[in-house]
Amino acid sequence: MGELVIGIDLGTTNSVCATVQNGTPTVISNRTGYRITPSVVAMARNGKRLVGALARRQAVTNPERTVVAVKRLMGRRWSAKTTQEAIQRMPYSVVAGPHDDVRISLGEQQYSPPEISAMVLTELRLDAEAFFGAPVTKAVITCPAYFNDSQRNATKDAGRIAGLEVIRIINEPTSAALAYGFGKAQGERQVAVFDLGGGTFDFTVLHMFKGVFEVEATGGDSLLGGEDFDNRIIDFLSEPFRQKHGTDLRKDKMALQRLRDAAEKAKCELSSLKQVEINLPFISASQQAGPLHLQATLSRDQLEQMTADLVKRCMQVCERVLGEAKVHAAQLGDVLLVGGQTRMPKIQEEVRRLFGKEPAKNVNPDEAVALGASIQGAMLLHDEQEMLLLDVTPHSLGIAIAGGFFQKIIAKNTTVPTSAHHVFTTVKDDQTSAKITVLQGESETSADNELLGEFMLTGLRAAPRGAVDIDVIFDISADGIVSVSAIDMQTGTRQSITVTASSGLTEDEIKKAARSNEDWMLGQKEDPEFQDRKNRAEELFREFETLWPRLTRAAHNGLGQEPLQRAQAALSVARLQLAQRESDALAGSLERLERMLQALRGALERSQGGA
Amino acid sequence: MQNELQQLEARGDRLTHYELLGVSADADGGTIRRAYLEKSKRFHPDAWYRKETGRFGPLLSKWFQRLSSAYQILSDEESRAAYDSDHRTELSQTDRAALDRRELSRAEEERRGRERRERMLRTKGFARIGAARKLYEEGQEYALNGERTQAIFALKAARELDPNRKEIVTKLVELEREQARARANSALASGREREERRRFAEAITAYAAAFQNDPGSFAAAMGAARCAMESSDARAATIWASRAVELNPEDAGARMMLSRLFLSAGMKARARTELGALLSKNPDHKEAKALLRTL
Repeated sequence: MGELVIGIDLGTTNSVCATVQNGTPTVISNRTGYRITPSVVAMARNGKRLVGALARRQAVTNPERTVVAVKRLMGRRWSAKTTQEAIQRMPYSVVAGPHDDVRISLGEQQYSPPEISAMVLTELRLDAEAFFGAPVTKAVITCPAYFNDSQRNATKDAGRIAGLEVIRIINEPTSAALAYGFGKAQGERQVAVFDLGGGTFDFTVLHMFKGVFEVEATGGDSLLGGEDFDNRIIDFLSEPFRQKHGTDLRKDKMALQRLRDAAEKAKCELSSLKQVEINLPFISASQQAGPLHLQATLSRDQLEQMTADLVKRCMQVCERVLGEAKVHAAQLGDVLLVGGQTRMPKIQEEVRRLFGKEPAKNVNPDEAVALGASIQGAMLLHDEQEMLLLDVTPHSLGIAIAGGFFQKIIAKNTTVPTSAHHVFTTVKDDQTSAKITVLQGESETSADNELLGEFMLTGLRAAPRGAVDIDVIFDISADGIVSVSAIDMQTGTRQSITVTASSGLTEDEIKKAARSNEDWMLGQKEDPEFQDRKNRAEELFREFETLWPRLTRAAHNGLGQEPLQRAQAALSVARLQLAQRESDALAGSLERLERMLQALRGALERSQGGA
Repeated sequence: MQNELQQLEARGDRLTHYELLGVSADADGGTIRRAYLEKSKRFHPDAWYRKETGRFGPLLSKWFQRLSSAYQILSDEESRAAYDSDHRTELSQTDRAALDRRELSRAEEERRGRERRERMLRTKGFARIGAARKLYEEGQEYALNGERTQAIFALKAARELDPNRKEIVTKLVELEREQARARANSALASGREREERRRFAEAITAYAAAFQNDPGSFAAAMGAARCAMESSDARAATIWASRAVELNPEDAGARMMLSRLFLSAGMKARARTELGALLSKNPDHKEAKALLRTL
């Protein structure tokens, strides 16, 4: 076993952490015992930072200070239209940041999206450290294949703030394919990954041969996911209500959060049921009529109708990518479904229709991505595996040229790492600087593409126009991250390039955020009293666990279910307090648990004596 | 590995794509891909992640990129054909022989395909629909194997048999577009390569081919204009520069070139119009101002 490394699926709604242990990829359960951690961060009224299930649970009562789906804001520019649309749906307050980026207001503090994501990552890191009993500093983090350079950088920054060295950013569908192909026979096959997560959609075609995973083409939509399906249900519920009572529930943050929960629940249930009832009592109140309740029925057919365009958008992306990969749908060896939203029967039906086959069943849609990331980590750091990933860049990279046009320098679906160069010539006499605008996208007009940054070439030699040739080199790393350097071709000197941050955090801001996160973590660790209680709690949990089989038998033989249920309730309260680090409350719970344990042991002895 | 890298370095640019991938020049698509994937396993930077590679590190990444661009070119029928004809003289004796074999067997296959299609085209009555479907499926199969030209032939025959079948026409249009695009791209690339080697006449031919396949290609028009200027063919240069200006009226470089050409041909009025248009968009363009003053 070499260095510890974890794989993290940092999702829009949920996150998962995994590692390769003794050659087997394994999901790391979090400290509350679950394999999935909601990507939710909240500031409780007492100023405490809550992450995961705890944050999610209190979202209804604290919607303004609960951050959900922050992934949709990662690496986005405040002025972009898509950003403004995404903000409309957020119950928390999003404001403009200093670099045309977005910031989230929580109480007096403002946080950038990477800082919020870092809180989720820190939580997962602590879970992993509890699992290994040792510090963990290295991670592979996944992002949607369709993420552009700024979104990838934002993800990397989040890792750094959480004190993790991000050894690689890999694409979610590729990662899922790694998990699928791990340990499989060395044969040659072609697979497609259909990845519809909480916030993004990706479709990727891969070719596997002797442990090499070659991505042939990838495409997607970074603003299409399960949340959009939920939003349709929210509209379906709130629109008739608005017409009847004149109140738009979507404007009431608390009501919106309840609607959101109800919509998600209904959506999930409709994957197995044909019809569900939605009941939201006391959702609002009016002065004349008093309290108002929301009651509705939603059928699977209705849901399919109102989301038909979303499903269609997915299928269009599939067809386009298949064309780019020059593959016929029916020719693929397997289709993998990844992401919770692929549980929707309609999507499975459409996938079956397009590919003419059943999707692969041996892939867990929630866990495959994290498992694949942990495999990639092991591939890089421990060279036991004879595997290699050849991924591609999802967007073309180029520069703005005269006339508002876009000149491609690296085409999309090019295998990374890759580099290309372009020679610039001065256009004026004694020109000493030149501005180069780097863009990502497919449009021929530069304004329609995503601006990555503007680079100033400075300190050029003073010479007549056309006499200075500058070779500008564009690199895309294996992470899909872009870097630029320049050389004066006549003198061979490297030019200094200054990057004006177009979105996201500056180096200083990242360092500062990482320091304050580190302080927070130290604060969590310092309390020796809490450490004692934690150890005692874990000891108690283990004792209950070993006793449990005997207790269940005893319950059938006269002891009854009631003491077991009480013990279970007390245990889950204590687990919660432990995770929430409520030291004093935990002490009380522990005393109660100890009393219960004694009483139960006594009861067991008595029943054995009697038998 | 170090020896291998040093050998590669020693051969440098003389190494053909086939030699680099370690396949013979008549290898099929599948063989080329498998060779690339196997080689990647050793050359990809990830295979050497966090290992001491010293001065070999940059070489590894350079040769991995050479490898993947070689694969990119050889994996498309059109760009591979262009590569073969451009680099025929650089291929080894055995590879040239292999190339001839491949061309022969392709010609043979094409001949057989053509005869088959002709036979099928003679089908009468309702059977024509069935024959069309067969040819359509054959076309799909060819397209999947990367044999676009054969696919297009099959689909054209299918269309003749059953002109009302929409999917045949759609697939055909798609393939023809793809073919034109691939041809334009490879012609543009070979134009640039020739221009760099200052073989201007050949470069103009390549740029013209690129323009013919993609009439919206500003880069092809500009390239041809540049090369025509270099080989002092003012007439051709004027035609190409006008096309470039038409395609991208706001490009200062194209307008500047065109005004100079008009001026040297003595067409002062037209030169003045061009310069006026240029300056209305870029009022600070020094060159244009200077040229206008001399007029």
